[in-house]
Amino acid sequence: MAATSNPATEQYNFDIVRKFSIMTLVWGVVGMLVGVYIASELAWPFLNFDSPFFSFGRFRPVHTSGVIFGFGGSALFATSYYVVQRTCQTRLFAPGLATFTFWGWQAVIVLAALSYVMGYSQGKEYAEMEWPIDLLIEVIWVSYMAVFIGTLMKRKQPHIYVANWFYLSFILATALLHTFNNVAVPVGLFTMKSYSLFSGPQDAMLQWWYGHNAVGFFLTAAFLGMMYYFVPKHAGRPVYSYRLSIVHFWALSFMYMWVGTHHLHWTAIPDWTSTLAATFSIMLLLPSWGGMINGIMTLSGAWDKLRTDPVMRFMIVALSFYGMSTFEGPLMSLKDVNALSHYTDWTVGHVHSGALGWVAMISFGSMYHMIPRLWNTQLYSVRLVNIHFWLATIGVLLYITAMWISGIMQGLMWRAFDDFGNLQYSFVESVAAMHPFYAMRAIGGMFFLTGMILMAYNCFMTIRQGQRAEQAAPAAAVASA
Amino acid sequence: MVNETSRTPAQTTGHVWDSDLQEYNNPLPTWWVYGFYVTIAFAITYWIIYPSWPFGKSFLPGVSKVTYVNAEGKEESWHWNTRAKLLKETQDAAAQQKPYYDKIASLPYDKVAKDPELSSFVLSAGKAIFSDNCAPCHQAGGQGKIGYFPNLTDDDWLYGGNFDKINETITHGRHGYMPPFGESLEPAQIDALANYVLSLSGEKVNAVKAAEGNKLFHSHTAACYYCHGDNAKGRQVVGSANLTDKVWLWADVPGAKDEAAKVAAVKSVITTGLNRGVMPVWEGRLKPEQIKLLTVYVHELGGGK
Repeated sequence: MAATSNPATEQYNFDIVRKFSIMTLVWGVVGMLVGVYIASELAWPFLNFDSPFFSFGRFRPVHTSGVIFGFGGSALFATSYYVVQRTCQTRLFAPGLATFTFWGWQAVIVLAALSYVMGYSQGKEYAEMEWPIDLLIEVIWVSYMAVFIGTLMKRKQPHIYVANWFYLSFILATALLHTFNNVAVPVGLFTMKSYSLFSGPQDAMLQWWYGHNAVGFFLTAAFLGMMYYFVPKHAGRPVYSYRLSIVHFWALSFMYMWVGTHHLHWTAIPDWTSTLAATFSIMLLLPSWGGMINGIMTLSGAWDKLRTDPVMRFMIVALSFYGMSTFEGPLMSLKDVNALSHYTDWTVGHVHSGALGWVAMISFGSMYHMIPRLWNTQLYSVRLVNIHFWLATIGVLLYITAMWISGIMQGLMWRAFDDFGNLQYSFVESVAAMHPFYAMRAIGGMFFLTGMILMAYNCFMTIRQGQRAEQAAPAAAVASA
Repeated sequence: MVNETSRTPAQTTGHVWDSDLQEYNNPLPTWWVYGFYVTIAFAITYWIIYPSWPFGKSFLPGVSKVTYVNAEGKEESWHWNTRAKLLKETQDAAAQQKPYYDKIASLPYDKVAKDPELSSFVLSAGKAIFSDNCAPCHQAGGQGKIGYFPNLTDDDWLYGGNFDKINETITHGRHGYMPPFGESLEPAQIDALANYVLSLSGEKVNAVKAAEGNKLFHSHTAACYYCHGDNAKGRQVVGSANLTDKVWLWADVPGAKDEAAKVAAVKSVITTGLNRGVMPVWEGRLKPEQIKLLTVYVHELGGGK
């Protein structure tokens, strides 16, 4: 009995998946805590304590890197290593390299956070890491690609499962994006400071080619990969349409690469680039929805699971938020809508409906599915998952509602003219008007963070339960013999 | 009406992964396909309207046009572009406001202030110009900040509060200066002076020290009266403060909790002097007609003379 108690762990390399899963929870709590803190700084500025180390400007990239690369990145490493092994029916290629990606990636997040607090930043959104950290990321990413592709190549299945296409496109695209956006000249060999090789509009366009595809491939394609495994697996039903998955995969991969410039509407870039970005964003709508349809329709015929299974509910609500924010995005990319929404909190709300509603929720659902299986046990408490679900949902709704109101109000106040054609409001009046919504947003974040902490506790108890059972099993076997 | 074929369970592709993962081979949803075509049609329409595809060193200009007045004053049409659109919108706004600015330029200040329509315009445009340029220091309502920037809503004026003086201040800027007396006077003397200065605004002080300060103030040793005047009411020619009006700019007397703190606040100013009362030059940054309008606006904030 003892020898066969853990067949799954023997068949696959789950050690690396467990490590990344635990760090997903850790970075989730840390990253969201910093998020709540900076949201509170905007509502109650005394929290800056007049210290550069606590200031919004330095903490903000700690939050974004913590949640995107720490939480999201670890979740992607964990699930991709899990999914690729199970769907290829083989162990990971180059396990040593896989272990390196774990320690290297964690080092990147810690180093990045420390360097931001010390005041080092490339000043490029989501690519704030300075050049030494960028080089480390490069090495880790190439290792990741080697492990993933190597595993695909030694698969014991004739076909590559759809989830793996998405993971692979994410790994390839991220390698390209990271490399080209971080081509910089260090001031000296022993200084952290560097300057981008590109300048002016070229630099801006490259940055947003990176920035939007970080959203497109890191936060969308990769998490669609996660969805394509965990939704059908958890529902116990086949994926709705293989054909749709092919068509929307290629359409999505092709369209996303064009749209980054929609972050630069009404700036010094050539107008034709802005038009193309807007139109490709519009044409991206249905390819994006392809993933949502495939996920939600997979559940067709098993809708009752939504009532009984909060893990399933996380996944389906995640897909709904995905559908909503991929509708909102193309809308905001139109020149005239963007004239209102750009530089306002609407953008912040949009990002979070994707980040909290889609990315975080699909990760929660997948982790709740995967963690008990990694430790060969059951979830410690399904009731806590249910509470987490409601806390997260209320949190997201408070957050995005606050940002919609505040963002649209900001946009309208900035462009309001009186009868004489003079600006009706000063900038500071628009700031004052946003205050209640900043408080509301911080409270929404607190809900979401509380849910995250509950999840960490629930998973901790689940893992402990699994470990105890494993220790007890050999003893029981001896006793019965 | 749902047809029968769509009700029968779709076939899977026949592949199985991880013991039970399968895929149905359902066709693409019709609404999805047509929705996709609609977005493509929308994109093509957008390409026809706005500048779009590049070729060679040029690009498709699109059919939408913007007409604006060029530097030679001639009307010019160009394909839709953000720069021309900005020019056009700025020109339209300027044209709308021109009659008001013309009238303001031709009338004396007090006529502008008394004309109901013009004063409404001054209030509207003045607020916008003030918020953009002046509010960062003087605050949104012009109330200033003790220790940093003068209050523009009271009737205390360092350099004069009539229309001409305000215009002069905005146009050429100001730079207030007071020497650091810590370098030339003993601490006890500065203490006496502080008590005297506070007594001028009716603050409760040590009468003996104040009397001593009074002597010093008018002596050649401290020579405060050179700038602040014999009556300590200040001299607008040099921008020295009126010390008798209970209005405080540099020493935070209203915010001090007791007599000792008030004395300390004034002492600090006398000891270190002042070299930070800098108002920037606005000539060249604002147009003369904007400065004139701003003059009336500031004058009407509360304390114009």
